[in-house]
Amino acid sequence: MTAAAIAVESLSKSFGDERVLRDVDLSVGDGEFCVVVGPSGCGKSTLLDCISGVQSLDAGRVTLRGEDVSRTPVEHRNVGYVFQDFEETLFPHRTTEENVAFGLRHGEADLSAEEIDRRIDEALSLLAISETRHSPPGALSGGQQQRVELARQLVRECEVMLLDDPLSDLDYKLAKRMELEMRRLHRERGDTFLYVTHNQDQALKLADRLVVMNRGVVEQVGTPTEVYNRPANAFVARFVGDSNPLVGRVREHVDAETAHVETEAGELLAATGDEPIPTGVDSLLITRPERVSVGEAAEGRDNQFSATLEGSTYSGEVTEFAFSLGERPDDFLVVEPGKADAGAPGDEVPIGWDATDCRIFGSLSTTGEVDLEDLLSL
Amino acid sequence: MSSQPHDPTAAESGDDAVLSVEHLTKVYGDGTLAVDDISFTVERGDFCVVIGPSGCGKSTTLHSIVGKIAPTSGRIVLDGTDITDLPTYRRDISLVFQDFQLFPHMSVEENVYYGLEAADIERAAADVDDLLSLLGIAEYSESSPRALSAGQKQRVALARSLVIEPKLLLLDEPLGDMDYKLQKRMERELLRIHRETDTTFVYVTHDQTQAMRLADQIIVMNGGRIEQSDSVEAVYNRPSTAFVSTFVGDSNVFSGAVTAVLEGGDVVRVATPWGAFDIGTENLRAPPVDVRGTVIPFAVRPHRLSVSDTATNTLSCAVDDVIHRPDAGTQIVGHATDYRGVDKEVQLTSWEQIDVEGDTVIVGWEPEDAVLLEELSVLPGIDLERDILGE
Repeated sequence: MTAAAIAVESLSKSFGDERVLRDVDLSVGDGEFCVVVGPSGCGKSTLLDCISGVQSLDAGRVTLRGEDVSRTPVEHRNVGYVFQDFEETLFPHRTTEENVAFGLRHGEADLSAEEIDRRIDEALSLLAISETRHSPPGALSGGQQQRVELARQLVRECEVMLLDDPLSDLDYKLAKRMELEMRRLHRERGDTFLYVTHNQDQALKLADRLVVMNRGVVEQVGTPTEVYNRPANAFVARFVGDSNPLVGRVREHVDAETAHVETEAGELLAATGDEPIPTGVDSLLITRPERVSVGEAAEGRDNQFSATLEGSTYSGEVTEFAFSLGERPDDFLVVEPGKADAGAPGDEVPIGWDATDCRIFGSLSTTGEVDLEDLLSL
Repeated sequence: MSSQPHDPTAAESGDDAVLSVEHLTKVYGDGTLAVDDISFTVERGDFCVVIGPSGCGKSTTLHSIVGKIAPTSGRIVLDGTDITDLPTYRRDISLVFQDFQLFPHMSVEENVYYGLEAADIERAAADVDDLLSLLGIAEYSESSPRALSAGQKQRVALARSLVIEPKLLLLDEPLGDMDYKLQKRMERELLRIHRETDTTFVYVTHDQTQAMRLADQIIVMNGGRIEQSDSVEAVYNRPSTAFVSTFVGDSNVFSGAVTAVLEGGDVVRVATPWGAFDIGTENLRAPPVDVRGTVIPFAVRPHRLSVSDTATNTLSCAVDDVIHRPDAGTQIVGHATDYRGVDKEVQLTSWEQIDVEGDTVIVGWEPEDAVLLEELSVLPGIDLERDILGE
């Protein structure tokens, strides 16, 4: 078996008393697009810093393609590193070409002028910024500047690219465009991408594999589909994608995978994911907005409730309804494709979903440091 | 400010319009024409969102309404009163900023009461308490804003603005600095607060999806002018210009010559380099026969395309990327190549999960899934490829 492109073993890092990374293990396969997602302060950027060598480790090991680089200085690790604040890293008085060539001309690899030109041509063309070759950063749009920063790292041909929320400063339309560009770049180069973002929507779109972090630990690793459909715990379920939380207590287990649950909205049938959840204990139950049916379609579903329609928003592709259900006024969301109608605000409307469309969690998080209140407000 | 002669194209200020902006123009000292003779009205109790690319004039418009910027010409009428020359504090308008602008040395409650004092208004303590509860910040009323999260600070800023019960609440990218999850949560909060306070909101953002989720009325600005002012549904499904169809939501835009008028004018055939397609004329203002022989663009939303070789219009595309979203189906990115070898990117999204086998896919759509776009933009000299389809 070939070595992983990036392997992190038992990595720990503290800043003063704050344990930012706690015994983190992670392995990224060769050519994989791996996205680390988590709330601010979860340690995701520090993880990148430790892999690139910008930060030293307190304990553990980082290996790149099988080689232990834990004590290797940053300039010898041979990884590309793209920052969010690209405006601060580009030389304002140099052209795109000079900015991109700088690392090659002043690096330790002894490259011929022809080789440097070849790499610049290829990177600028791949990123569609060839026409900015002789312009300084100030003359470029935000998206173009971010591409120059990317090109600077691509020409180093490192094969491992670390990207720290590179699209977060771009406006919405451009970020959407650049998401597709990121996927194309990854596909055409075949490099390994380790990409950090706070934007779950972007993470679901970009990742081959998703790493969910919280409070310095990894909560779950899996494909976006695995993480979304089979979250390891309630934190992951709440953090990745939209969800409707309800506090509930298992009254009785029906079988290994299903239980009767008492909730603030009434009794319902929920999936337990094989977890042996104790009865009578406050637990968190979630349903996904797109798995709930409204109106006549709610008939015949395992769980049916009458909910008060508070409002609806049509945004072209989907219609989103906000319902009051139980003690969470206004906050129960249902999404239907296209333009859908559920009645007028104030109407009592049947909504329903099957047991397999909602999941009750015994485990709230890996560390056990997250409580119900944290998850309800997430 | 001189009164304007009656202009039939100016926005009608109906009985329910709380705000009427009439022929607003702003030229800055350096000669920049930021806002160019725009007129619009906002209905009482509506959530109106102004969107447009940076530099389109949306912030200048907002700051003219609140009185931070003096217009070069034009009128602003609030509830029947011309407020164009009134100072900000006498306009009965509140403004919420992206950076909250709370006083750190005052408690939450003191910040909210400051809003009243500044406007020289009195409110019963119980009413203020109700507002704090509505905004979910009653339990922090004694705290310093420093101790609050970004979402809580924004609620305090909203409370301070709403406590005077303004005729109009203006919001300038209030969620701009928040992370994704918090933004989505605050969007829902804003909708709820809007519903429960019955206040008229005018909200500025560059984020089109946020605009779509929040707005009753969307005003799309571009180059100091209004491209379209309409309901979300109309802006999305019946865009008045090619600019609007690509700025609000995603569109696949093609352009070609109209070669035939079919089905009694309900459909026209448009010959593009990528094929001839039958397109519905519902969005056309001119009689269909008038566009025969002219070159006209049309747009199809990605989710109106399907994988189909039996639809009225079909197009063979090389597949470049397939994205499976566990929460929102499939997105296919591909391209069609014309006889000249020119590639056209085509995007398809589907609520269902689609398995794409092979390197090509045939996408199809019906005439009514596409809209004809007679105008490229309200601005002159706009080029489809360069200005609208380029980055």
